[in-house]
Amino acid sequence: MTVTIALQLLFSGLSIGAVYALVALAIVIPYKASGVLNFGQGEVVTLGAYIALVFTQWGVDYWLVLLGTLVVSALFGLIFERVAIRPIVRAPEFTIVIATFAVGLIIRGAIRLYWEDNEYSLSSPFNMPPLNLGGVRLNANFIWILVCTAFVSGSSALFFKYTRFGKAMRAVSQNRAAARLMGIVVEHVYMTAWAISTAIGAVAGLLMAPVTGINPEIGNILLKAIVGAVIGGFTSLSGALVGGLVVGVIETFSGVFIGGTFKHIAPFVVLIVVLLVRPYGFFGRAQVRRV
Amino acid sequence: MLVIVLAALAVVPFFLTSYWVYLTNLFLINAIVAVGLNILTGNAGQISLCQSSFMAIGAYTTAVLSARYGLPYWLTLPAAMAVAGGTGALLGYPARRLSDIYLALATFGFLEIFQVVIEEFSDLTGGVRGISIGRPSLFGVTLKSDLSLYCLVLAAAVIMIWVASNLMRSRFGRAFNAVRQSPYAAQALGISIGRVKLITFALSAVFAAVGGSLMAVVVGFIDPLEFNVIASLRQITFIVVGGLGSIAGSVIGALVLTALPELLRGVKEYVGIIYAIILLGFLLFMPGGLITIWAIIRDRIWRKPVKIEGANRAASLD
Amino acid sequence: MKSQLRVMVAAAALCLLPVSVYAQQGVTSDEILIGSFGSLSGPSAFVGLPGRDGTNLAVKEINAAGGVNGRKIRLIFEDDGNSPTRALAAAKKLVEQDKVFALFSIGGSNPTSGTLAYVKEKGVVMYVSFASAPGVTFPFDKHLFRGGTTESARYGELYAEFMVDYLKAKKIALISGRDEYAKNEADYVTRQLKDSFGTAPVARADFNPGDKDFTPQLLQIKGANPDVIAILGYPAEAIIILRQARELGLDQRFFVGATMVEESVAKNAGAAAEGITGFTLLPLLPTSQDPGMVAWLAKWKKEYPNAPAGRPNLFDVLGYNDMYVFAQGLRNAGPSPTTDSLIAGLEQIKDYRVGPTANPITFTDKYHIGNLRLQPKIVKNGAWENVDWESKRESAILQRYK
Repeated sequence: MTVTIALQLLFSGLSIGAVYALVALAIVIPYKASGVLNFGQGEVVTLGAYIALVFTQWGVDYWLVLLGTLVVSALFGLIFERVAIRPIVRAPEFTIVIATFAVGLIIRGAIRLYWEDNEYSLSSPFNMPPLNLGGVRLNANFIWILVCTAFVSGSSALFFKYTRFGKAMRAVSQNRAAARLMGIVVEHVYMTAWAISTAIGAVAGLLMAPVTGINPEIGNILLKAIVGAVIGGFTSLSGALVGGLVVGVIETFSGVFIGGTFKHIAPFVVLIVVLLVRPYGFFGRAQVRRV
Repeated sequence: MLVIVLAALAVVPFFLTSYWVYLTNLFLINAIVAVGLNILTGNAGQISLCQSSFMAIGAYTTAVLSARYGLPYWLTLPAAMAVAGGTGALLGYPARRLSDIYLALATFGFLEIFQVVIEEFSDLTGGVRGISIGRPSLFGVTLKSDLSLYCLVLAAAVIMIWVASNLMRSRFGRAFNAVRQSPYAAQALGISIGRVKLITFALSAVFAAVGGSLMAVVVGFIDPLEFNVIASLRQITFIVVGGLGSIAGSVIGALVLTALPELLRGVKEYVGIIYAIILLGFLLFMPGGLITIWAIIRDRIWRKPVKIEGANRAASLD
Repeated sequence: MKSQLRVMVAAAALCLLPVSVYAQQGVTSDEILIGSFGSLSGPSAFVGLPGRDGTNLAVKEINAAGGVNGRKIRLIFEDDGNSPTRALAAAKKLVEQDKVFALFSIGGSNPTSGTLAYVKEKGVVMYVSFASAPGVTFPFDKHLFRGGTTESARYGELYAEFMVDYLKAKKIALISGRDEYAKNEADYVTRQLKDSFGTAPVARADFNPGDKDFTPQLLQIKGANPDVIAILGYPAEAIIILRQARELGLDQRFFVGATMVEESVAKNAGAAAEGITGFTLLPLLPTSQDPGMVAWLAKWKKEYPNAPAGRPNLFDVLGYNDMYVFAQGLRNAGPSPTTDSLIAGLEQIKDYRVGPTANPITFTDKYHIGNLRLQPKIVKNGAWENVDWESKRESAILQRYK
């Protein structure tokens, strides 16, 4: 294991992990705001990829595709929250988990009905040969993914820390009743949180697409992303970011040291270990009880 | 009522073709698994996504012991139950500190790991290529005919449901329900929550294993895909649609949802979506499940106040 | 009075006639009912749906040309969702409820395997088009036939021989999917390398279908320094593997398995695809410019004008070819087909194919493996071309039936 190979693996692991991190972020934001864990988030990612596909097939330029995907998916998030989430916000955890899972299955089935199981591809403007940095080859698409993830996490962090709306969201996540008493319209906070979440998820799909192709099963990435969210503690955004990256790196390195089989289950073994040892993750606080 | 149902089930193989007998077998197997899951999720309130893994343990134990080691069925079934029960307890022990979403995630992680385990030991399990199981033999007699196999499945289903029913009526059952309804009050009453979680995990695993073991001999061929997360979700759908917490509900849910894909053969591409829509619909609009309809009917027809364990507690599933 | 009685008796006899003459289930005076099952939904639908479309196209043509011995073929399709449990339900329903004459499987290996015991027990003929599970043809049962697809072991035999003989590979690395089909291919290649050539792969990595990053596996393979890298899996992963390999500095020759010899791999892997070799089940790819395929494509497009991208694929063509073989067997079975006469009819088939889009199929009364042929191909300028190479060894598979 030379330094070059280790760095190569690290780069690859971080790039994969970046996508997990984005999806993890998309899961944690609405969980913080409304206490709902969206098991259908994987399908939001898939939807994002297909929306991008449709725009591309209409001949739209990549940057407009990016914008269009953001807008459409944010709208979708708003509708989704109003129609599917609002009724179950107060329901027991079991109902929420299974209901969001079911919605995800419905979305996946609908996609499959129209596009069937064909593999579509999306080309990105970064199809140049990889950058060679001292023997380590940096795939241009991977670099773009890392840049986007950094941008999204950075702006989310700024948003939540400094803007009024961000502060309102933090207030709601801490104590819904008190926030309402302070004049915050909790419903608006929910809607925004979901719109942001679906937009991020859809962007993850768009970023993944040139690397992985587009088919109805790409939403399975949710499982790994959830592991990342758990590692980071469900209540922390920075935790989600780090958790996702960690999962990507663990997966990649275990692939070399232990073999392809364990590469697949490594994240789940980590998940179970973390759940047993530190269920609140490494960054989160004790679980906030919904009032 | 029960007598009528049993009588109807008893005469099935004499009047119907092998196809319908096969479907009824599948329904009975699903009912066993659903009743087991119901004890864990409906009564004790624990979310588990790895029910199908316990079913797989049952199916593969039977498959490996009979196909690779030639053991007769009446030995493999208890073995399957023991292995699954043991695994369930092993899982339930560390999981007792987890709840809700974290438990769901942990059980999901276990399911994925178990899938890989089945695939890895392919010399034993056949791995992704699957494994064939011959007809079961009980005490020297091979059950070759449809009728004899059906009798086995029916007998097993009746026994398991009877066990579950008695269990839920005993103080164990009450303890399980207490853990779900009000964990703090339960603890105050001296019920050990951790112990209850452990026991219900092990119990639901045993039920699932019986179902899995029967499935191995009814279908005659199994592969790991039959026991993936979609299968677990399907089982959750049985108990949600039927009525959480109610044994009769679980059986009804299993009946309706086993029959559904067969009845919907005309709209094959939509089956998956329809399943998910039904699940969602019941969660949102009829959380009490189908059993509440039955309760209303019985109430109207016989004008007796109906005591159905599950129906009234849907609202208090907190 | 007596003549009235005679008329009545004659009328009664005539009424009984359809029952007595056409006592074979699934066969009436103008129709032959065939049951088919496969993955019509779910992730494996890319096999079953094209299989259904190709078979339907063939049936339509055959019926338009007068059918088989004056009878039209009617197909009933059932979905097995790639599950052995559901495949068995489908088979039982088709045989017992719909009362079909015979079964035509367009399902995968595991679902089809789930139905074998039942089919043998019921004594119904089943023609298997796509499944490559060994259990279909070995141990031999007279009711089961395998058509266009070939035995798992055959893939191993040909792949290994080609890599050693044509690509002159001394050190071979395998990277394979962990699903049933790819794992079978990889295992058989390994076995063949050992049995016939006394070598073993220098590296063997595996991946999960759906994986997006193969850096660990490729670095592992790079370390073993092979001459040839064989990818055994599916197009989606192959495209990524090829691209990533080049990026990581692996410039060995690549060999791909039969499922990856299709247009998407040649096109979407970019420059990395140039020069890769592989085998395909069909003599002509659906995208070939050969006039025979162009004509077939026109027919298919006329029937299915709204098909999505990537269609028709391998399974459309295979289903079409195999239905014609099956129909030929039906024709040979004579004017009053029964299960036994169908078996005899199919066993008469020698080197039959519907046209240039198909491999010749042969059945004998000793073995029912219709096809042992795979066509080697190479990518030149972004498209697949035929390679002029034939196997010089006799297949060990047939030895089993001697």
